[in-house]
Amino acid sequence: MATTCGITISAGIAPGFGGISESMTLYQAGTLTDIDSTTGFQRRKLKATAAVDLITMASENIEPKDSVASKVYIRNIGDGRGNIDKSVGVTIGVNAERIGKLYGGDWMMMPLTCIDADDVTATPENDNTVVLEFVMFYEEA
Amino acid sequence: MATIATVELTSDLLSDNMSVIADTTLMKAGTTADDLDQIEYGVVEIATGDEFDLICSTPTATKASKLYVKNHSIDETYYIAITQNAQAIGKLYGGPNGSGDWMFIPADFHDAAADIAITSNGGTNKVEYALFHEGTALTTT
Repeated sequence: MATTCGITISAGIAPGFGGISESMTLYQAGTLTDIDSTTGFQRRKLKATAAVDLITMASENIEPKDSVASKVYIRNIGDGRGNIDKSVGVTIGVNAERIGKLYGGDWMMMPLTCIDADDVTATPENDNTVVLEFVMFYEEA
Repeated sequence: MATIATVELTSDLLSDNMSVIADTTLMKAGTTADDLDQIEYGVVEIATGDEFDLICSTPTATKASKLYVKNHSIDETYYIAITQNAQAIGKLYGGPNGSGDWMFIPADFHDAAADIAITSNGGTNKVEYALFHEGTALTTT
């Protein structure tokens, strides 16, 4: 079993910058053993500007090990009906710290601590419908 | 020319294989046609135990910056711990044959304390990073 994730960044910003093309295999911390647990692929529809927990670490549905090699993928797919607004975003946070804003179509891949307090939060910029797709990979506690 | 970030995520952890391919064009905050047009790119080697701010300049806050970081260490027990504003985000482990962890996040830099800091563990970690942004506070000579 393996989970892999590749990234390609093609940029015309600078003539000498050849872009980035890399891949990673999601292993358990400090080993070459494949990561073994996932929340599964999910989507969450948001319609208000209130912050919500996208992933609650203390949830009984998941029991991740703390401070190892967890990762989360999140993408703003617009309103879920094919309409993607690049001008409106959803701020993603960890615990009380805001990480950054995913505008329509934007995606992110980020490591997580999975400590109980370090929930992954989402705060839409306005009350228009926005849908986030996400999946977390983690080690079972 | 636009900057386009593409992700390809595959996993066979579930009964059916999961495959996600998505791309996004990196735009300036709140715009639909104005591409991110500046970049800070580097490779650093950080001795174990040392903590540094990865981004030396000060990107304009609350914009649409995107940050890519990869751990190129070939030892899977080596890792860098990522923090922002004293909030632990997670760890990026090294790996053989280029399989080390990477992350790609929207970076808010909402105030002077919101720098992305990395701490090297296990040994000297070789770290590649690229910040796509729309302006920084340059230091006057």
